[in-house]
Amino acid sequence: MPLFGKSQKGPAEVVKALKEAVNSLEKGDKKAEKAQEDVSKNLVLIKNMLYGTSDAEPQADIIVAQLAQELYNSNLLLLLIQNLNRIDFEGKKDVAQVFNNILRRQIGTRSPTVEYICTKPEILFTLMTGYEHQEIALNCGTMLRECARYEALAKIMLYSDDFYNFFRYVEVSTFDIASDAFSTFKELLTRHKILCADFLEMNYDKVFSHYQRLLNSENYVTRRQSLKLLGELLLDRHNFTVMTRYISNPDNLKLMMNMLKERSRNIQFEAFHVFKVFVANPNKPKPILDILLRNQEKLVEFLMRFHTDRAEDEQFNDEKAYLIRQIKELKPIPGH
Amino acid sequence: MATSTSQSSVPWPNTKDDYELGKVIGVGATAVVHGAFCKPRNEKCAIKRINLEKWNTSMDELLKEIQAMSSCNHENVVTYYTSFVVREELWLVLKLLEGGSLLDIIKHKMRVSNCKHGVFDEATIATVLREVLKGLEYFHSNGQIHRDIKAGNILLGEDGTVQIADFGVSAWLATGRDISREKVRHTFVGTPCWMAPEVMEQDHGYDFKADMWSFGITAIEMATGTAPYHKYPPMKVLMLTLQNDPPNLDTGAEEKDQYKIVYKKEASKRPTAAELLKHPFFKKAKDKKYLQQTLVAIGPSLETRVQKASKRQPGASGRLHRKETGEWVWSSEDEGETGDSSESDTDSKPMNTLVSAGSSGSDHESSEGDPPPVNLVLRMRNAKRELNDIRFEFAVGKDSAEGIASELNSAVNSNETPDDKALIGYAQISIMD
Repeated sequence: MPLFGKSQKGPAEVVKALKEAVNSLEKGDKKAEKAQEDVSKNLVLIKNMLYGTSDAEPQADIIVAQLAQELYNSNLLLLLIQNLNRIDFEGKKDVAQVFNNILRRQIGTRSPTVEYICTKPEILFTLMTGYEHQEIALNCGTMLRECARYEALAKIMLYSDDFYNFFRYVEVSTFDIASDAFSTFKELLTRHKILCADFLEMNYDKVFSHYQRLLNSENYVTRRQSLKLLGELLLDRHNFTVMTRYISNPDNLKLMMNMLKERSRNIQFEAFHVFKVFVANPNKPKPILDILLRNQEKLVEFLMRFHTDRAEDEQFNDEKAYLIRQIKELKPIPGH
Repeated sequence: MATSTSQSSVPWPNTKDDYELGKVIGVGATAVVHGAFCKPRNEKCAIKRINLEKWNTSMDELLKEIQAMSSCNHENVVTYYTSFVVREELWLVLKLLEGGSLLDIIKHKMRVSNCKHGVFDEATIATVLREVLKGLEYFHSNGQIHRDIKAGNILLGEDGTVQIADFGVSAWLATGRDISREKVRHTFVGTPCWMAPEVMEQDHGYDFKADMWSFGITAIEMATGTAPYHKYPPMKVLMLTLQNDPPNLDTGAEEKDQYKIVYKKEASKRPTAAELLKHPFFKKAKDKKYLQQTLVAIGPSLETRVQKASKRQPGASGRLHRKETGEWVWSSEDEGETGDSSESDTDSKPMNTLVSAGSSGSDHESSEGDPPPVNLVLRMRNAKRELNDIRFEFAVGKDSAEGIASELNSAVNSNETPDDKALIGYAQISIMD
C-alpha cells in the first residue's frame, strides 16, 4: 500500500506541484501555510522517488531520469535554493538530500546535473551566499561540498569573486557555520590538485593577502585551522611553485616564528610544520637566511626545548633534530 | 501553533557576555558543563565549554557532532541552540535538562530504596522507553546512528521530557539509494556493555539496528539497574557478548518477554524503532507528568549531582573505540576493572561529557591523591589480522598485573601457530610516556 494516496503522481506532476507551492511561498500570500505544507509534501515525494522508503524501493532509473529532466527544465533547483530560508526545518534537509542525489546521478561517465549546473552557475553562487544566513548555512554547506567534488563546479567557484567571501564566512561567530564554511573552503583548495595548484599560482597575491588575515584572526579556531591548512597546502608537492614563493618571503617567516611562540601549544605545533619548510629549503634567499642567522642561537635553544613531551612522535622528533642541525650549520653566504 | 513566546524572537547570542554561567553540572576530560542563563532571552540553558587546546582530535570531529545535533529538531533529541568560540574554548549552548541522566536516577534510587523487585514500575519504564524510541525513530529517519544509547545518555527535563543526548560518536548512514553515504559503518565505537555484537565483530559492518541492541540493553538497565556484564572489564564484555546467547530479562524482577524481540544477535531480526513503537507494551506508557512524579521527583538533586560532578577527576573512562584510521583506543578512567559498579557511566571522549553533565553518579569517586595512571599500549592482531593498538590506563593500586594478564589472554586467541615476531598468538604490551 502506498503511504500517500497520490503517490502515483509522475515526476512531471510532482515537480509542477512543488514549483507552484514554492512560488506561492515566495509570494508570501495568505495561503502561505498551505503552500508550506505542499512544499514539504512534494519534497518528500521527490525524496522518496530517489531514495525509496522502508516500504518502497526507489523509482526505476527511467523515472529518475525523467524527474531530473523535469528539475532542469523547470529551473526548480535554483528556485528551491533561493527560497530555502522559507522552507521548514525538515524540508530544508530534504532539499539538500534531493539536490545531492540528483547531482551524483550518472549516465555512463557523464554527470548530467554537473553539466546542467555549469550552465546555471547562479546555483553555486546562491549556495555560497547561503553562509550569510544562519538558518540555511549548513544545508547550503552540505550541497556546496557535494558540488566541490566535481572539478568543473569547483573551478567555477574558485575562480569567482564570491570565493573571497569564504575568508569572511570562515570567521563568523557561530562556530558550526564557520567550521562548515571552512571545510568547504578547504575542499575547494585541496580536492582537485592540479586545479588548485594552478589557481593558487595564478592568484597568489590576492589569496595570500586574504589568507594572512585568517592567520592573524582574533578567533582561535580560525587561526588554528588556517595555519594547519597552510601547512598542508605548502607541503603538497603539487603546490611546489606556491610553496617556493611563500617561503621566500621574510614576512611569512617572521609570522611563523611568532606563531611558534604562541600561547597555544596546538598553534605552536602547526606553526612548526610551516616553519620547517623555510629551514629545509636548500636555496634560501638571502633575507630568509639573514633572519635565521640573526636568530641562530636563540632558535637552536628554542627548538631544543620545543615540545619535548612528544617523545612518541618519531617523525616530529626526527624533523626537529634535523632543523636543529640545519640551523646550527647555517653560514652566511660567502662574499658578504 | 503556539509559538507566541517572546523568547523565540531573540536569536541565541554568540557572545560570552550574554550568558551568566551557573554551577558546574558535569566535568570531563576536556569539557565542563555549566547550568547557565541567557540574558537577552531571559532563559535558562546549559553551556558545554570544550577546551580546544586539549582537544587533539581533528576539529572535523567536533563539527560532525554539532552538525548531527543541529540537524535534529525533535522533542526527544537534545536541543542545540548555538556555539561559539571564547578564547581557546568552544561554548556549546544546549537545552538545560535539570533532571539529570537516567543513570543518575537509577543509581540514586538503588541507593535509597530496595530495588530487589525492579528499579521502576512498568508504566515508568514503558514511558521512558517509548520516548527514547521516538527519538531513535527520528534519528534513524534522519540517516543517523547514535551508536551510544544507554541510560547515561538519556537525559530528563524537569517537566519529565526525555531526550537522547551525546552525539559524540554518532554517524551518518545511507538509506535507500543514498549514494552519498556509506551503507554500513565499520568503525568500532560505543561502550562495551551496550554494544551490539555486529559492532564488536567489525566484519560486515552495522546499521541502525545496532542502536536497537543498545536500546534493549538500556531496557535491562532500567529494569534491573545495571547492564549485563557490567562487572567485567571491557575486553571481557566483548568476549561474553559475542560468545553467549543474547541477554534477556528473566533475571529481572518482572517478566518482560516483549523485550526479547530486541535481543537478537542477528541485526536483521531486530525490529526497527518504528516497528517496536507499535508493540503493545507501550500501551502502558503514560505522559511526561507521570515521569515527573516517578523519576524527576525522586532523582538526586541538582546539588548532589553538582557535588559529584566537581569531585570527579577529569579524565577518561571506559570506552574502547576504534578510530577511522583503524587504531583502537581504550580510554579508561572509570576504574572499570575494580568491580562494584564498573559500568562506564561517563565517557572519555571530551564531547561525551554532555552525558556526564548529568550522569556524574559514579559510586566510586576517585580519591584525589591517587598516583597517576600508567599508560599502556596493547598491540595485537584482530580477526582480520590487522594490527591494532589499544591504549589503556593502568591505575596503580587499583589494577593488578593478573587482571591485565587475564585480559591479554582473552584478547589473544588464535588457532594459528604462534609467532611472537609476527604477533600471531602473541600480543605486545608496552608503556607509553
